[in-house]
Amino acid sequence: MDQIISDASDFHDTQIPNISQLDALLRCHICKDFLKVPVLTPCGHTFCSICIREYINRQSKCPLCLNELRESMLRSEFLVNEIVQSFQSVRTKLLEVVKMPTISGSEDKSLIELGSDLESESGENIQSSKELESEEGDDDIQIVGTNQTKSTLRHNLRKTVSGPRINKSISSIESMFTKRQTNVRMAQCPICEDFYPIKTLERVHLDECLTLQSLGKKPVKRKASSTDTGLASKMTKAPSTSQKRMKSLTPPKDDNISHLERYVTSVVDTEHQRLPKLDFTAMSLSQIKQKLSALKLSTVGSKQDMIARYNHFELLWNSNFVDSMDPVSESELRRQLTSWEASNNSNNVNTNNNIGRLMMQTKKADTKTVEYNKLLKNFKNDKFSRTEWATLFNKEFKQLIKQARRNLEKDRQKLNDENDHEHGIEGLTEPSIENSSLFNKNETS
Amino acid sequence: MHNNPQETERLISDPVPGITAEPHDDNLRYFKVSIEGPEQSPYEKGIFQLELYLPDDYPMEAPKVRFLTKIYHPNIDRLGRICLDILKTNWSPALQIRTVLLSVQALLASPNPNDPLANDVAEDWIKNEEGAKNTAREWTLLYAKKE
Ligand SMILES: [Zn+2]
Ligand SMILES: [Zn+2]
Ligand SMILES: [Zn+2]
Repeated sequence: MDQIISDASDFHDTQIPNISQLDALLRCHICKDFLKVPVLTPCGHTFCSICIREYINRQSKCPLCLNELRESMLRSEFLVNEIVQSFQSVRTKLLEVVKMPTISGSEDKSLIELGSDLESESGENIQSSKELESEEGDDDIQIVGTNQTKSTLRHNLRKTVSGPRINKSISSIESMFTKRQTNVRMAQCPICEDFYPIKTLERVHLDECLTLQSLGKKPVKRKASSTDTGLASKMTKAPSTSQKRMKSLTPPKDDNISHLERYVTSVVDTEHQRLPKLDFTAMSLSQIKQKLSALKLSTVGSKQDMIARYNHFELLWNSNFVDSMDPVSESELRRQLTSWEASNNSNNVNTNNNIGRLMMQTKKADTKTVEYNKLLKNFKNDKFSRTEWATLFNKEFKQLIKQARRNLEKDRQKLNDENDHEHGIEGLTEPSIENSSLFNKNETS
Repeated sequence: MHNNPQETERLISDPVPGITAEPHDDNLRYFKVSIEGPEQSPYEKGIFQLELYLPDDYPMEAPKVRFLTKIYHPNIDRLGRICLDILKTNWSPALQIRTVLLSVQALLASPNPNDPLANDVAEDWIKNEEGAKNTAREWTLLYAKKE
């Protein structure tokens, strides 16, 4: 299994391995994912608001140093919040830039080989190959002659690109990147609409994008104007609700977003009271129902269900209105609660979360595992058979190509009628369960 | 709510020397674990099979770990259950599967007969340490042989 989920170790084999430390430092020690709504403890440790609140419900101590810890001691860390989001927004591209052009290139190559019919549709690729050729004087394998067929030219270029020549000068490493990039097939993310190399999109970016989205942050392309609700107005008066609404709609993934400005203008929500913990042992069923109704929560299920519902909603509420610098609406919190209940009540494979997806992948990959491992072993022995590899993953590659084509097509259409709404992606802008299941479909089909 | 595919993934891609952990095909919460006996311990040259299960509330609750291979150790009982503080009262969600398995390996290197789980073994260990270690070595040869 290759890396489907982002991990600090992704940076180990790059030109700057120490970025993995930065990556690891920005993650929560409870969920191991990037910090979401980080809060600081008096003992100087930082966790996701939800993670630490959930843990404090069980144990009144810091998971890292075991010092005493109560909810009232937690403080929001707006700066860390912006640092994490800022890093996440550049991570995919950063990884791409610092990546060593070694073994990982092999998969790209197979992909390109299978996608060659696609390439020949446009003259672009071959043209860029020729351009590269002229700057290639110092390479190990030179491309000579111009009367080669397209495919051999491409083949040679690939050889040049993927050679494991680590001790070359920086400039030639850089030039290798340029070459690789021209070879990498790009595809559009259905959520944020940015373009990424297919591999990056599939493995890292979609996950990140979905995560951000599930946090209630809509990674919609932001138009330039919304930035100026900033400093000036904040200086003169307290922010109005409408301003806050706008702020919460601000997409954290966008390159144009100013994390500095977001940090400087961040304010604690004062409109919402924190939700108290309830002592259910002293409450009757109808009293519990009353409490739930008052919060517009469902009263179906057993007493146990209702207690669990309130407790989780209290967690979501306080994390959102007490800790978060851009709280989502109450109705969004209720949606999150429903989604939590749905995923918590099914004991069987739940395809709505990461582990479910991972599980499905494992199961599916299983029939291939033996063959895959054999090929991989040969790869390490330098006896790697590209044809066998391509045959084994034929279906997967075809799928990727199809997807890329679809996205290209979509893009062309969009260019054709600029005024029209985005085609076929309306359903994707809403952070919902349907979204994740669509992701599953893409991933497993 | 935290299912930690992050961690599962890392365990596979970045293994600890002497320890392997493989998620079960049908259930990624269930791991087949093997731990090499530490050098200069009575368990040296043995390979011990364990099972590890991540409960629904993990990492809020500790993973469940159990030896499948028979082992003569004062803190491990006949059923393979392990007496290790971080698996019980001292669990913290900041601990990881890898730290748990490293702790189990460390427990093999330094048994603690004063906090026993297998009372007869612990007694043997306190009264006649050399003899107990010999038994542990025999059991290792008998049940935990490398293939
Ligand atoms: Zn967390
Ligand atoms: Zn602490
Ligand atoms: Zn995206």
